[in-house]
Amino acid sequence: MKLDVRGEVCPYPMMKALEAMRQLPEGELLEVLTDHPPSLETIPPLANQLGFAWKIVERGGGQWAILIAREAQVIEQALRA
Amino acid sequence: MVFAGIALLVLSGVAGVLLTGVGREVGLFWAFGLAFGFTLQRSRFCFASAFRDLFLFGSGRIMKGILAGMAVSTVGFAVLMSRMVPNPLPGMIAPEAHVVPVGIHLILGGLLFGIGMVQAGGCVSGSLYRMGEGYVASWVAFVGILGGLGLALHSWNWWWRISIERAPLVWFPSFAGYGGAVALTLVLLLSAYLLVLWWEARKGLALPEAPPAARGQTFVHRLQDLWERVTRRGWPVVAGGVTLGVLNVFLYIAHMPWGITGEISRWAAGISRLAGFPPPTLLGVDQLGGCTLTLGGNRLITHSLTLDVGMVVGSLAAALLAREFRIRVPPNPRRYVQAFLGGILMGYGAGIAMGCTIGAFFSAIPSLGLNGWVFGLSLLAGAYGGVQLLKRVP
Repeated sequence: MKLDVRGEVCPYPMMKALEAMRQLPEGELLEVLTDHPPSLETIPPLANQLGFAWKIVERGGGQWAILIAREAQVIEQALRA
Repeated sequence: MVFAGIALLVLSGVAGVLLTGVGREVGLFWAFGLAFGFTLQRSRFCFASAFRDLFLFGSGRIMKGILAGMAVSTVGFAVLMSRMVPNPLPGMIAPEAHVVPVGIHLILGGLLFGIGMVQAGGCVSGSLYRMGEGYVASWVAFVGILGGLGLALHSWNWWWRISIERAPLVWFPSFAGYGGAVALTLVLLLSAYLLVLWWEARKGLALPEAPPAARGQTFVHRLQDLWERVTRRGWPVVAGGVTLGVLNVFLYIAHMPWGITGEISRWAAGISRLAGFPPPTLLGVDQLGGCTLTLGGNRLITHSLTLDVGMVVGSLAAALLAREFRIRVPPNPRRYVQAFLGGILMGYGAGIAMGCTIGAFFSAIPSLGLNGWVFGLSLLAGAYGGVQLLKRVP
């Protein structure tokens, strides 16, 4: 599942990520694409709190992908691919 | 991007030397502006989210940073004010302290500002530093802020007559002495901090700070680590708050506490005049401190101008160094409307309350006045209202 929140500022990236996490099926990867740096401080702890694993990947040019899944292996697989 | 950031810092230094030629304070305040903008950007210090996230996510992360920063300034301001006014008697106020009359104008101003900053996704200082980071919506919000301050200039005299003129000035040292005033303010700040902790534990998300990445132990590694910490990774929010609090004390030593919207009202007055609607002479403003509206004098380049513009440039430099600069265009057209209307509300609110989250709150509570607390609580109520509205705007 991909969630593109580029151009959005607080609190929308976090609100939309929260909504997406709640709907995320097991074994699936959520990729949140953002250009709002504060999201990097707020979305990962939110994921922690809800029991998700996460990883931030810098995409350059002021953009990041936050990879989120219920299982850490899902993220590792996605990173290897 | 990193080289552009370094180049910008060097250029800003040169500009500082040139501005010092215009006036000593003009150059000095430029440097302060750069430092404020850099710190705000690095610690992502957003007053709007500090208030909003208490209600939206139950998170008090940034609010705790603000409270820590104000505690530092409280002590610094008190030392400074006690040297300027050794015997505070009723009716006295320390020079330049952000103590303004407490009345309905202050409460309403805080409410409007609180709603506006949540809608716009940033307060006035937040919009200034995000303008430097490349957020198009923040430029739109800034236009709204100018408009709101323009409206406030045109209705100031009405507010003066019905509320401000008769409203009391309450400066704690003139009742309780400096010791009592500082003790009272620190106890209130600590209580607010504990209340935030309780709030987080009760319903929300305590957002932990990201753990630092480990590196080698050699000098070069440590130097790289320091560079990364300062320029790449976001600063811990309490470090940001304390840095801002210390800078605020130094700014007061230099001349006056940190404030933004008084200067922007001068720009709004100029635009209003150019547009053919010159604002009227403002009643009573000579007797008022803080970020009271001003029509401006004869000089174009002033210390408050370089302070505000410096914040935008300082943030741009920080964003470039962190490789976070990017022109961000909201895809959703509703965001521009939110930013503009939020800006209008903030501008008008700051106009009648004589300051924004900085001048009427972050600099006002350490000035040991009652007004900072009243404005802060009004902001809180306004932010609550703003969050209810926000939940209805997808």
